[in-house]
Amino acid sequence: MGATGKDRPKLFDSGKRVDGRSVDSLRSIKIEARVLNDADGSAYIEWGKNKILAGVYGPSECIPRHDQSLYRAVIKCRYNMAPFSGMEEHGRSGPNRRSKELSKVIKEAFENVIISENFPKTQIEIFVEVLQSDGGTRCAAVTAAAVALADAGIPMKDLINAVAVCKIDGQMAVDPGKEEDNFGESDMPMAFSPRTGDILLFQMDGLLSRDELAEGIGLARKASEKIRKIQVDAIAKVYDEPKEERFLVIK
Amino acid sequence: MESINEIKRDVLSAVLAAGKRADSRGMYDYRKIVVQPAILQNAEGSAMASIGKSQVMVGIKFDIAAPFADRQNEGVLSTSADLLPLASHLFETGPPSEEAIELARVVDRGIRSSNTIDLQSFFLEEGKVLALYVDIYTLDHDGNLIDCSSLAAMSALLSARMPKIEEGKIIRGEFAGKLPIKEKVVTCTFGKIGERMFLDPSLDEEKGMDCRMTLATTSEQLCAAQKGGWGTYSERDIMELLDISMEKGKGLRELL
Amino acid sequence: MMWDIRPESNSYSVIYVAENRIVMPGEVLSDKPERISYAFVDKGKTYSTVVGLYSEGKLVPLEGPYEPLPDDLIVGIISEIKFSGYSVEINCPYVSFLSSREIRERYDMGDAIFARIDRVDEVKSIDLVDAKKLPIGRLVKVSAVKIPRIIGKKNSMIDMLISATGCEISAGRNGYVWIAGKGNATLAEKAIRMIETQAHTSGLTDRVAAYLKANSQK
Repeated sequence: MGATGKDRPKLFDSGKRVDGRSVDSLRSIKIEARVLNDADGSAYIEWGKNKILAGVYGPSECIPRHDQSLYRAVIKCRYNMAPFSGMEEHGRSGPNRRSKELSKVIKEAFENVIISENFPKTQIEIFVEVLQSDGGTRCAAVTAAAVALADAGIPMKDLINAVAVCKIDGQMAVDPGKEEDNFGESDMPMAFSPRTGDILLFQMDGLLSRDELAEGIGLARKASEKIRKIQVDAIAKVYDEPKEERFLVIK
Repeated sequence: MESINEIKRDVLSAVLAAGKRADSRGMYDYRKIVVQPAILQNAEGSAMASIGKSQVMVGIKFDIAAPFADRQNEGVLSTSADLLPLASHLFETGPPSEEAIELARVVDRGIRSSNTIDLQSFFLEEGKVLALYVDIYTLDHDGNLIDCSSLAAMSALLSARMPKIEEGKIIRGEFAGKLPIKEKVVTCTFGKIGERMFLDPSLDEEKGMDCRMTLATTSEQLCAAQKGGWGTYSERDIMELLDISMEKGKGLRELL
Repeated sequence: MMWDIRPESNSYSVIYVAENRIVMPGEVLSDKPERISYAFVDKGKTYSTVVGLYSEGKLVPLEGPYEPLPDDLIVGIISEIKFSGYSVEINCPYVSFLSSREIRERYDMGDAIFARIDRVDEVKSIDLVDAKKLPIGRLVKVSAVKIPRIIGKKNSMIDMLISATGCEISAGRNGYVWIAGKGNATLAEKAIRMIETQAHTSGLTDRVAAYLKANSQK
């Protein structure tokens, strides 16, 4: 973030971003719902070069028992990166500080919309596996996990999604790619409830003015509407073209 | 759930005694197999394989590492398996289970003892060798994860590219040709209940069966084996299973 | 909040063939507050909480966990034998109990039973009654919301499955279907999977009939 020096590429030049996009355009997003057999709900998302799988189990008996609530289902989330997901060296298996933080903020975004009161003493588990990472994995993870939860039939007040905005060479832009993520001046991931417009996940690092913050939220909100359409289409496809075989196809 | 295991075994015994399987397959038939090679771009090699409703992804990464003390002129091959909690309600988060470690080691032994990869070619300089990581990622569990994983691993290795190395460092995103593979190693896993033996056990069959035999073969020879479960095999059983494995192996190799 | 009242089970068959549309969680069903199952009211409007089929004030979820209610007929598996009765696994996160006083037969671990839910209390403890042991067979787990479709209007679908396959089939409201008897259980299971996958489509009964006819010789 905010790296300077001769390695830093020009990120915004004459209205175009480093990968040729305009400030308000998303990378290509494809979602496929119901790709797993044993999970109660599942979804696979390709967002730019990100390839992420989300699976949902529950409501099931909450274990260990001291985690139980007598009033609602406990939401659990595990965000995990495959050791082969990155461009660089082989990763370590198991949770680290970053993946634990992301698991927490993703879980908290869903705690707002999942109607958990109907399932006391249970747990609803959200598993996210990043198979290939390309910047913006947490937003793609939220977007895929929402489709997986809907696929599982978990009652929710909304189908949520997430997208980040960045500041590149002084310009606000939506959905930073890997390079913009690494070299941009700031990065701000957000999750929205499209029904109410409320923000459910909010993180930022870098430097932003008050006006830039407002512009960034506006850009993200517009992008979120486009993402919702892709989510809805993915869910509808399960019923428009019913298939007995559930199967993950990766192009 | 123990109670479910018991009913499965009853039904399984009854069905198999009649020479049939619950899903109407023959005793030595595989379920539908699909292999998708080279599905990821960041990993140096990758593949997905599915057998019936079981789905496994394998990613290959190269790093530079120190050699093992007793094999100074050889590269490092490291195979691990994650039984991901999203793959099955039977899998839990936490450190690798016995099953995960057994799965990784069986796949590893097949690759290693067939000498399909020339680890000596991974030597770079004194104290510096290439390390090859094979990560087995189970995505969906409906039985026979061993055959599914070894198919995905072999396909990933066949799709893998050698990293480009300059001044003792890997240049990511650039490659120096394909990873040379000498043999296509495949495994055939058989279940046994009572005196009945059958290929490619589904999860229901795994829950009810007495034991399991995995035979890894090259086109010519047996290269690794693993028995699991409490039941027993006669010498004749094993010879018979090897003959079937050699025959079935031809079909599996065609998928790679 | 008024989303937890389930429609009567026979209304499912009606809505599957009626004019309907697929709705998403958070989608508006009505501009005024309405009492609709699986929906909720916020600031005077009514919204769906699930992916479902919506038509004329009725919302049927297309997926979802089993929520036990009194008088549900369920298939369960004996999971624990206690001093005063049995714990029964019924495809939901809550323990259900069958008291020895309610039954004449004795059960072993793993036995399958067909029973009725008598009571569900506020902490979701479930009492079963009217239990009957099922013969040796196989358990097919399906999405619980698809069970009414597997049973069909006035048992039409399940009766057809039974007569075409020669199996004894018991469909529990909880999503457990038990297939027993000497018939073609594999065909029965495949037909049930077909109904589960296509439950939201119309003309299903005819397609299942054709499927059973085409495959029953094998």
